[in-house]
Parts: sequence; C-alpha cells; structure tokens
Amino acid sequence: MMNGWELVIGIEIHAQVKSNSKLFSSSSTDFGSGPNSQVSLVDAAMPGMLPVINKFCVEQAVRSGIGLNAKINNKSIFDRKNYFYQDLPQGYQISQFKDPIVGNGFIDIVLDDQTKRIGIERLHLEQDAGKSLHDQDPNLTFVDLNRSGIALMEIVSNPDMSSADEAVEYVKKVRSILRYLDTCDGNMEQGSLRADVNVSVNKPGDELGTRCEIKNLNSFKYIHSAIIYEAKRQVKSIESGERIHQETRLYNIDSGETRSMRSKEDAHDYRYFPDPDLLPLEIEDKWIEEIKSTIPELPDQKKNRFIKDYNLSEYDAGVIVSDKATSDYYEKVVKNRGPKLVTTWVTSELFSILNKKNLTIDESPVSHDKLGELIDNIESGKVSNRLAKDIFEEMCETGKSPSDIISEKGLSQISDEGELEKLVDDVLLANPENIEKYKKGKDKLFGFFVGEAMKLSKGKANPKLLNELLKSKLNT
Amino acid sequence: MEFDKDSLLKLGKLSKIKIDENKLSSLSSDLGSILKFIDRLQSIETDNVDPTSNSLDQSLVMRDDIALDENSAAEILENAPEKELDFFSVPKVIE
Repeated sequence: MMNGWELVIGIEIHAQVKSNSKLFSSSSTDFGSGPNSQVSLVDAAMPGMLPVINKFCVEQAVRSGIGLNAKINNKSIFDRKNYFYQDLPQGYQISQFKDPIVGNGFIDIVLDDQTKRIGIERLHLEQDAGKSLHDQDPNLTFVDLNRSGIALMEIVSNPDMSSADEAVEYVKKVRSILRYLDTCDGNMEQGSLRADVNVSVNKPGDELGTRCEIKNLNSFKYIHSAIIYEAKRQVKSIESGERIHQETRLYNIDSGETRSMRSKEDAHDYRYFPDPDLLPLEIEDKWIEEIKSTIPELPDQKKNRFIKDYNLSEYDAGVIVSDKATSDYYEKVVKNRGPKLVTTWVTSELFSILNKKNLTIDESPVSHDKLGELIDNIESGKVSNRLAKDIFEEMCETGKSPSDIISEKGLSQISDEGELEKLVDDVLLANPENIEKYKKGKDKLFGFFVGEAMKLSKGKANPKLLNELLKSKLNT
Repeated sequence: MEFDKDSLLKLGKLSKIKIDENKLSSLSSDLGSILKFIDRLQSIETDNVDPTSNSLDQSLVMRDDIALDENSAAEILENAPEKELDFFSVPKVIE
C-alpha cells in the first residue's frame, strides 16, 4: 500500500517451451542461428500448408500445469487470434481462447516469512511471432521468422498481487517451478520467459481501478521498477483529477518510465474463432497420470525436506532451493557432513564469490567435491575457519584442491599441544608487564595474548586449544 | 439492414484494407445482409448443443518432436517481394 492507495497486480507470463522443434512445424528452435534459416513453409504461411501439433509441447504444457497445481483439461481448442503485423505471416496467431489446455491452479509465494497463495487462471499453448528489426535501415524494417511458430505457454495469474515485491516473487516462483520441471529454460535475457503486467490502483474499500498493461518485461528488475513507476503515475493522475484510461503501455529501460503504446479505442479486436485447420486436442486421463508419475520433487517439497532433514532456516532453505542446480550442489556437499557448516559456506562464501564474478553455480570455480574436502578439513580441526577462507580464495583463483594448498603452504592448523605450549610460553615470556596487569584484573588483555600467539603461529594455532592453554597458564 | 459505416471503417483499419468512400454504402448493405442471415441462425435453439469447433468427430493427431531444417533462407525468401541480407524487408514500421 502506498499513501493510502492499494495496488492490484495480475501477470501474464510467456514461457517458451524447451522443445527441439516448433509447435506446429518441424523447424528447429535453436537460438542465435542466421536469419530465416529455421523457417518451414508452414512458419512462412505459404498457401496450402497445414499445422501438425508437436506432442512433446503438449506434454510440457501438461507437466507445467501439474506443477502449478492446476486442472488439466481433457479437451481443449485452438483458436485464431487475428491481427495484422509484419512479423506474423499467417495474419493470425494460433492460440487458445475459450478452452485452454490447463485451467485453474495456484502457487504459494513467501515474502518476509509470510506465505501468500496466488491463483492461476489458466495456461494455454500458442505460437510465438517472428522478430522485427527496426534499426538496420533508415527506411526499412527487417523481418526474421526463426522465432515464428515456436511454442509458448502463456500463464495467466489472478489479480492477486498487491505489491511490486509480490509480483517479482510470483514470477521468480513460476520460473523456478518451470526450471525444475525442465519445461522452459527460464532464460529471461534471451526472452525465453517474459512478463506482461497489469496494474491498477484504488482506495481501500473502493471498486477496482482501471488497469493498464505493461508489455514485455524480461527481467525481475524491470518488472519491479515498471510496477512502481506505473502505480505512482496512476495515483498522481487520479489525485490531480484525471481519469485512467485502459491502455497498453511500454516500459523504457533507459528512463525507467512507461509510455502509452495504444489506447483501448485503438485496441486490437482479435476476432477469435476456432482454427478450422486444427481438430480439438484431446488428452486422456491415462496420459495425464503417466506424466504425473514423472514429476520431480518441486521447490516447495524440497524446501520442506531441507528444513526437516538439514535443519535449515526457512530463509536459507528458500534461497538454496529456488535454483535447482544450487540445491543439487548443496545436497552433494552436505552428504555425510554437518549441515550447519555446509549451509554457511554455500550461502556466504560460495554465493559471494559467484555474485562477484557473475557466475552461475554450474560455472562455479570450486566444485562440490573440493568445497566438501575443505569443509572436511575444518570439521577435523586441521584448518581454522579463518584460514579456510584464505584457502577458499586461493581455490577460486587457481582451481587447486584444498589439500594441495594446505600442504604446499604448510597451512595445517597447529593442534599439537607441545607445539602450542611453546608458542604460549614465548608470548608470555615476552610480555611480563601485561601479565602483571592481567593478574591485577585487566581481563581484556586476554584477547591481546590470544592475538600475539596467533600472530606468532601465522594464524595456524587451533583457537580452541590455544584459548584453553592460555587460560590455564594465566590463571595459575 | 445496414452495417454501420463507423464499424465498417474500423474493420477496414484492423484488416489494413483501404475502403473507398464511394464503396462504403454498397459494402454496408452487403455486410448488412450477411448479418441478417446470421441473425436468422441466432434464432435456432442451441441450449442443449455443445459448441462445435470442428465438424469432424475426430481429435488432433500429434507428431514427435524432431527438428528438421527442410528449407534454406534462400528458399524461404524466394517469393518475398523485397529482401535484404537474408531478411524479409518491408516499409519501416513504427508503432
């Protein structure tokens, strides 16, 4: 809520199905190929060509529906959505209107330890359009149809979100679920997952305000700032006596503003009707059950298991399971090791180095084996936590194993009592005045002795043993 | 029954079809008679009939997910009125 106004947000996510070939043709879906090199006569809408549906794409839509706790419809219909644009050679997009493949569902999001349920209205299959390049020639627009006809899942939420943070959490959660299911790669930079956001504002208790739709947001950051900007704009307009008109708006990533793209008066009238080229899509319960049996453990289940099995906090578990690869890495390291230490190392040291170098967990300079080995050395007392951090840094730089670094540099922790005692004696011998002061009650000096001994050992003294030794020597 | 001229112009705009001023009235009356026929269809009792999306009592046949690049860019662009660097090219589109 902002300045006495409530925010209402609904989101449409377009998620590209991770398939080899397109929804209604056999052209490849590879990203980054030469222009118009992956276009069949169907995609180019040559006369007489007929669409044939890709079974795998249907299966992925069903899988996604199951992951979104949604009803799978046994019968769904493909419709033509008619509009005229140069990157749509058919003159219509094949989509689903009245009878989508997936009906009502929901997901749960967590924000500040509060769980909120967001309703899903539907998921349907549709074709992507081609790509227009407006900046290659002063007088011409270039069209590449490689993307034309690739399968998209459009996932429509209910208007259940009431802040930009909730909206971002929702998109993150849907993306995470689709990546666990492996139905969409979730690559937002390449446009495999993008969001249209509907925003309206109203006073508490009043009717819902008129909504505006902001199209094609392809990062969490843009989703967040577009919503904030748009809500403020609407509040400002209403407070200065204007009315909000229903319209489609575009977000400018450079200025952070939204601007009108087309108003309702100019809005497309899509004249949907059932595509006569396509028969109804029928999905038997038996097939749905088969697909259900192949659904992997999803983020929510995994999170609960991690909290239970590894005693993780709600927050840590949420962070670790949000990305499947991260949770896999964590599980490999935590096997046969103490979860507390593993969690700290993964969520602080490892995450900070990945962030700093802008790497994904799959690109981590430190493999799960090597991190595990380092943690073993801490657990056995061979190196202190502090030394381990230096070793970890060197592992990141050189890719060496922790054991190699420890033996090369002679970094093993000194836990040998005789050796430690000699250290302590040397320190005490060198500081008779401070011993005097300590014995007269200046307790704080204990830290000074620990520091001196550590320095003398070049950081290798086992801190626990060192403390005990010093205490017993000073207090006698 | 006449199809109103504003709706006709809007339909033309949506379809990117230019409609000549002197064709407006004949088109209106043509479309009007089509609508009149639709009105007659509307009077049929359909309360207990499922909407028909297709007249064949069959369901969709599916294909396997195998990628085949059957056509080269040159082939696909062969019929294009204008092309540049393996792209279709059209007059600049600004929206």
